[in-house]
Amino acid sequence: MDMSLGGTVEALRSEFRAFFAESLPVDYAARTLAGGKLTKQEHNHWHSLLRERGWNVPLWPKEYGGPGWGPMERFLWEEESGIAGAPRLNHVSQDLLGPVIIEFGSEAQKRELLPRILSSEDWWCQGFSEPQAGSDLANLQMRAVREGDDYIVTGTKLWTSYAHLANKIFCLVRTSADGPKQAGISFLLIDMEQPGVTVSPIYTLGGMLTVNEVQIEEVRVPVGNLVGEEGGAWDITRFLLGNERLMGAWIGVNMAFARQVRERFEARPVRDAVMARRIAEVETDLLALRYTTYRVLADEASGKAPGPEVSVIKVRGGEIMQALTELLLELGEIESLVHPGTLPEGELPIVPFELQHMAQQYFDRRKLTIYGGSSEVQRNIIARRLLKV
Amino acid sequence: MDFNYSDDQRMLWDTLDRFLTDTHDLRQRKNLLHDPAAETAFWRELAELGLIGAAFPEALGGFSSSPADVAVVMDRFGRHLVTQPYLYTAVLCGRLLIEGLPEGLREEEIGAVIAGESHLALAACGTHVLHSPQDTTFTALKDGAGWRLSGRMPVVVNADRADRLIVAARCAGIAGEREGVSLFLIKSAAAGVSRRNFRMIDGFGAAEVALENVPVARENVLGTPDEGCLLLDVAFDHATAAACAEAVGAMEYLIPATAEYARNRVQYEAPLSRFQVLQHKMADMYIQTQTAKSMALVAVMALDGDPIERARMVSAAKSQVGRSGKFVGYQAVQIHGGMGVSEELDIGHHYIRLNIIDRLFGDTSFHLARFGSLWQHRPA
Repeated sequence: MDMSLGGTVEALRSEFRAFFAESLPVDYAARTLAGGKLTKQEHNHWHSLLRERGWNVPLWPKEYGGPGWGPMERFLWEEESGIAGAPRLNHVSQDLLGPVIIEFGSEAQKRELLPRILSSEDWWCQGFSEPQAGSDLANLQMRAVREGDDYIVTGTKLWTSYAHLANKIFCLVRTSADGPKQAGISFLLIDMEQPGVTVSPIYTLGGMLTVNEVQIEEVRVPVGNLVGEEGGAWDITRFLLGNERLMGAWIGVNMAFARQVRERFEARPVRDAVMARRIAEVETDLLALRYTTYRVLADEASGKAPGPEVSVIKVRGGEIMQALTELLLELGEIESLVHPGTLPEGELPIVPFELQHMAQQYFDRRKLTIYGGSSEVQRNIIARRLLKV
Repeated sequence: MDFNYSDDQRMLWDTLDRFLTDTHDLRQRKNLLHDPAAETAFWRELAELGLIGAAFPEALGGFSSSPADVAVVMDRFGRHLVTQPYLYTAVLCGRLLIEGLPEGLREEEIGAVIAGESHLALAACGTHVLHSPQDTTFTALKDGAGWRLSGRMPVVVNADRADRLIVAARCAGIAGEREGVSLFLIKSAAAGVSRRNFRMIDGFGAAEVALENVPVARENVLGTPDEGCLLLDVAFDHATAAACAEAVGAMEYLIPATAEYARNRVQYEAPLSRFQVLQHKMADMYIQTQTAKSMALVAVMALDGDPIERARMVSAAKSQVGRSGKFVGYQAVQIHGGMGVSEELDIGHHYIRLNIIDRLFGDTSFHLARFGSLWQHRPA
């Protein structure tokens, strides 16, 4: 037994920290940590800095321009990015679609698409959920009908993150209504900059704009935009979701929140015992989650593929972030309950910047136990697949 | 023992419910929040319905028969997500006017409020959501027979709309002491008063208030000088009980709304309502709401009684309602899934408001501590 990550991994952690300290613009980090917004241009700027260091596509193998990291190194990057407050707006392109193209894409798709992700020229969004397909993803209805060398695509995607910033969307589409629901689904790449594609914003609690509705009406998509086989999307989806299965722990981001909670509490003139206990409770919860995640990673490093136990991580990661944002909100007193979009700009700020987005963040984080398989679905997975009940 | 509203209160309940059903759905609410003229007109309508008068006794020109009248109004406001400052102008500040102003000025000020012409905000609690006027960031310096007020408070709810401010300012002693804080009634338009407006996360208007040597005369002191905290105790208890009623109105709405959604939403070939885990969540929402409702009613009934018993019951109610409201709101959002976190449904807005109510006028920790501290004073 050994609880250390080992010398090489720890050395990499130090490299990450040194890089963030030197290269991550302080203002980007401050805004990310406080829940403020960065523009697309600012993100692309940050990614150009990452690219110079060879770290902008952490999941990719070396031959395609990535660092060729293993699971532990990837996770460490994720963790340190969160702690440092590194913005990650285009993660759908870099961490979700990129690996899918590398694993399942045709040579032509690799040649065309991967460089455009590397250069941040393309911003992809993920068209999975639909009005009638939330937790039950296989129930999706967007249809793609073959007509010559094209598919004609029609349907609605819902809760599409950052579609308002993206120029392309990959969609799960129904190419067949026969057989099991999962077998009739295909993985299709669609250019959003064409007639028939409409993006409408969906504002979430506290006035946040991250998700959208994407309507696709009679849009012609070349058959060459199919990834993998027709009807083969379910395996691709499983692969894609597998790549973010440990991200649900939000270890780095949670650690950054926990640090803010602790600093805010320690700065109080009077520290009440109830609050002290609540904070320590969440801190130990987070530590337990962190080591649970490491345990899964260590198993993975020794060749054991992670199974349904990652549901433990997803459930706890969301719950802990909800608890941390709640503590932050309480510690921020009345100043943290303002609506950030209504504060007068310029002049002297009425409320310190680091408090302005706290309420918005707290309410927005309710989504963590809903999306990507709700906590109820995760518990069903644990019960059925692990406990056999 | 009788936990029911009177016939008159029942009538008020029905009238208001019908009025709000017609005039205050989510879209109409949004319009109000973006149109000051529409907000003013809506407030006048509330005044014409006699709702503002319901917070004031008949002797002072109002229509109130008991504090339960206010509870009826707040319950329906909670149900319909009314984001108008009734709680601040009529209940909290209204109580301070009733108890604190000298005769004459009192009738004049209250008359303007009842007519829907005057709005008030209380600038008392520094940055605290907890009601801690002893930490006020305003100071009052003696100036002849009157005072001059100075200081800045970053967040004063309803100060954006208020033409009158009730300012808690320290006249003597040091920060944190309950003695030495006085309450002053000033005009928002007075020289030396500056405001910067914004809104709170639940949609209520607010402003930063800065005072620079604002003169105030002796007759504009509410209650006894230096003893403002005692007067505020009464007003906060009235406002807290009203906020509890508001929360209960919201909770009683969220349960059937959530059940209906669960019955209609089909996933995995079955309505969500068939999943036992969700049935139990909704049953827990009901359990929480019923217990919270009992205490919200008790708080209202305790308002006119013995001051210590009033404080104990209001604190017991607030801690119960605060926790229950957050629970019920959270489960309603969770069961509604993505729709629950969208601004397009009222569910999430109710959840936000229930969270804010948990913090208003002292959060759960504050009220549990106050309840505990009064143990030895409880009646035999």
